[in-house]
Amino acid sequence: MTTTQETRTSPAPSLPPPRLERGTIGWIRANLLNSRFNTGLTILVGIALIFAIWFAIQWVLSADWTVVGNVGGRFLIGNYNSDQACPGNNCFWRPQASLLLVTFLMGMGWGVAGAKLMRNLALITVGACVLLAFLPYSFERMGMDVRVLLVANMVSVAAGWAFARYTRFGTVKWVVIFSVVIFILSLAILQGASFLGMQTVDSRQWSGLQLNLILALAGIVLSLPIGIGLALGRRSHLPVVKWLCVGFIEVFRGVPLITLLFMSQHLVPLAFPETFPRNSLFNAGVVITMFSSAYMAENIRGGLQALHPGQAEAARALGLASWQTTLFISLPQAIRNVIPAIVGQFISLFKDTSLVYIIGMLDIVNISRKAVEGRVEFQGSAPEIFVFVAIVFWIFTYTMSYVSRRIERNLGVGER
Amino acid sequence: MPAFLQNLTYEGVPVWRHARIVQWTLQIVSGVAAVALVIWFIANIGLAIDSRNIPFGFGFLDTEYQTPIGEHFIPYDPSDTYLHALLVAAVNTLVVAVLGVILATILGILIGVARLSSNWLVSKLALAYVEFFRNVPLLVQLLFWFFIVLTLPPVREGIVFLDLFYLNNSGVSMPGPSGFGSMGVFFIWIVLAILGIGAGVLLYRRLADRELALGGVAHPVMAGWALALAIIVSSWIILSLVTGTSPIEWSTPAPEGRFGRIAGGVTFRAGLVVVLLGLVIYTAAFIAEIVRAGIQSVGRGQTEAARSLGLTPMGALRAVIFPQALRVIIPPLISQYLNLTKNSSLGAAVGYPELTGVGITMTQRESALSIFILIMATYLAMSLTWSLIGNLYNRHISFERRR
Repeated sequence: MTTTQETRTSPAPSLPPPRLERGTIGWIRANLLNSRFNTGLTILVGIALIFAIWFAIQWVLSADWTVVGNVGGRFLIGNYNSDQACPGNNCFWRPQASLLLVTFLMGMGWGVAGAKLMRNLALITVGACVLLAFLPYSFERMGMDVRVLLVANMVSVAAGWAFARYTRFGTVKWVVIFSVVIFILSLAILQGASFLGMQTVDSRQWSGLQLNLILALAGIVLSLPIGIGLALGRRSHLPVVKWLCVGFIEVFRGVPLITLLFMSQHLVPLAFPETFPRNSLFNAGVVITMFSSAYMAENIRGGLQALHPGQAEAARALGLASWQTTLFISLPQAIRNVIPAIVGQFISLFKDTSLVYIIGMLDIVNISRKAVEGRVEFQGSAPEIFVFVAIVFWIFTYTMSYVSRRIERNLGVGER
Repeated sequence: MPAFLQNLTYEGVPVWRHARIVQWTLQIVSGVAAVALVIWFIANIGLAIDSRNIPFGFGFLDTEYQTPIGEHFIPYDPSDTYLHALLVAAVNTLVVAVLGVILATILGILIGVARLSSNWLVSKLALAYVEFFRNVPLLVQLLFWFFIVLTLPPVREGIVFLDLFYLNNSGVSMPGPSGFGSMGVFFIWIVLAILGIGAGVLLYRRLADRELALGGVAHPVMAGWALALAIIVSSWIILSLVTGTSPIEWSTPAPEGRFGRIAGGVTFRAGLVVVLLGLVIYTAAFIAEIVRAGIQSVGRGQTEAARSLGLTPMGALRAVIFPQALRVIIPPLISQYLNLTKNSSLGAAVGYPELTGVGITMTQRESALSIFILIMATYLAMSLTWSLIGNLYNRHISFERRR
C-alpha cells in the first residue's frame, strides 16, 4: 500500500505566536486600541496627558522652591526648638530621641514579624532619616549633632532587630508592651521631666509634622477599642446602653470636626472645675479620638451586621457564653471584613489632624500657611509649599493604605 | 464568699449570675453614670458662667450684627440682626452643599466609570486621580486653590475666553440666567416643564416594561428624554412667542464702568470657587471608588444571564446591573454627601463666609458658647436630614432578610 501522505511520528514544531497578539504590540492592541472608541479615547487622553506632563515639568522647573528650604526643619518639629518654647534652643535632641525610640520599635517589629513588608517599612523609614542628614544646609543651620542623631537611626533599627531576635523579648506581646512604653516615654521626653532638671516644653509649642503624628497615633490606638465598645453597645439589647451609644455616635458624626475642636477650646475648660489641669493638646487629642471612634463604631457595626447570624448561633450551640461568642467569634470576623474601612478611617484621622489650625496649633499645614501668608517675599510661592505638604501627607497615607492591602491579602480576605 | 451573699438568689439563681438582674444593673449603672456626668458638666458650666463672668445667653440674636458678609444669596445688610446673619451663613453652607453634591456626583461617576474602562491609559489615570486626591487632606487642597486664585490677575487684567468666560482673582463669570423675564411666565413654564418630565418618565416606564415583556428594542431611555426635552423646549418657545418675554433672561457677562467690573451672566465669587473646587475634587475621588465598587459588586454572571435571556447590552445594564449596583452605591454615596456638607465648614479657612466662618467671626464679640451651640445644632439638623434620606432609601430597597 502506498501513501501519498507521509505519516508524522513527531509533533509538528510549534509556530511562533502571532506577532500582533503578543508582546508589547499585542498589549497595546489589547489595552489601548481594542475598539474604535477606545482608539479615539487613547489618542485624545494621550494628547491631553502629554500637554499636562509638559506643563507640570515646566512648572516644577520654573517654581521657586526656596520657601520649602527656608521652612526646612520646621516642617518636622515646628516651633519646638524656638526661643519661646525652649530658651537656649537646646531641645532639638528630644524629637530626635523620640524618633530613635520609634525606629528601635520598627526594628523590633521587623525582627519579630520577619516579613518583607515590615522590613521594607523599617528600612525605608531609616533610609529617609539618614538621607535627611545629608541635606545641603550649612552647618550653622543644621548642626553636626543633628546630622549624627539622624544617622544614628541606622544603629537604632539594627539594635531593635537584634533585640527582638536574640533576647526573649522578641514576641508580639512584648512589641505591644514596648510600643505603649515608648509612646509614653516619647511624650515624657518631649514634655521634659522637670524633676530630672529637664527644661519643660509647653505642649502648645509642639508643632510641625511631629504634632500631626502624635495626635494621629494616639487617636488610632484609642479610637479602635472605643469604637468597638460603641458598636457593641449600639447592637446591645439593653435599651439604655443602646440609646446612649446611638446618641454619642450620631452627635459626634453629625457635626464637623472643626466645630468640635473649637468647642473643646471653649467648653471643656468650663465643664471641668478650675483646678483641673488645662492642656489644649490633650483636649484636641480627646476630641479627635472621640470623633474618630464614632465613625469607627459605624464601620465595625457594618462588619458585625454583615456576619451571618449562623456564626453566633453555632458558637452558642457549642456552649460559648455570649461574651465569648462576641470576643472570639463575631468580632474577629467582623473586623477582618472591614479592614479597608478601618484603615480608611485611620487615614481620615491622620488627615483630620490638620484641622487643629482652628485652635491655633501649628501643625505642618498651619506652619506652611504661616510661612507664606502675609510675607511678601514668599506670597507667590504658596502653591509650591502646599504641593510639598500634599506630597508629605500622601506618602504617609498611601503607605497606610498599602500596608492595609498587604494585611488583607495575608489574611486571605475574600478568598475563604 | 460570705454566706449572706451566697444566699442572695433570685428565681433560684445567684443574683450575680442571673441574666435579667445583671442586665438591669448594667443599664441602671450606665444610665445613672451618663446622667450624672452630664449634670456635673452642666453644673460646672453654670458655675463657671456665674463665677468667671463667661458671657452666655441668646439675647444678642436680636441685635444688629454690623459686619459685612462677603457672599450672600439672600438679601443681607450689616444693619440686620445676628439671627439673620446666621441664616445668611446657613444658606451659604447649603448653596455649597447642594452645588458640591451635584458636581461631585457627576465628576465621581465619570471617574468611577473611567476606572473600569478597558482602556489602560484611562483607567490608570482615573486610579492616579483617586489615589492622589483621596489621600491629601482637604485643608491642604483648599489652601492650594486659595493661593492659586490669589495669584490670578486682578479684574482689569483678567483672563477672558471667547468674550464669554471671565477669570480673575475675584471670581469666574460665565453666560447664564440673570433673572426672570416675568414671574408669571416663569411659573407657567416651570409647571409645563415638570409635566414634561413626568410624561417622559411615564413613557420610559411603558416602553421599558414592554421591552421586558415582549422583547425587542424600544429605546426607552432615549424616547423618555426626547419627549421630556421636546415638551420643555417647545413650551419655552411657545411661551416666548405668545407673551413676548422669555421665562428666564439669559445674559453674557461683560466688563462695565471705569473699574472693569464684570456685570451680567452668572458670577461665582472667588471664595465660592475655591470651596467648590476643593470639595468637588476631593469628594469626587471618594464617590468614584463607591461607583466602581458598586458596579463591580454585581457578578459577571448577572450580565451573562441577562444577555442570554435576550436583553440588549443597554437593556441588561438598565434592567439588571443598575438596580443591583445602586443598592450598593446609594448608602455610602449618601454618607459622602453628608461628609461634603460637613466639610464645607472648612470654607472658614479660605474666606468663604459659611456657618462656621461667620460663627467664628461672631465669637469675637458675643458668647462663643451660645453661637456654637446654635451652629452645631444646625449642622446636626442637616446631617440628620441626610441620614433620614439614607434610611428611607435603605428601607425602600433592602432585601427581605432572614433573621
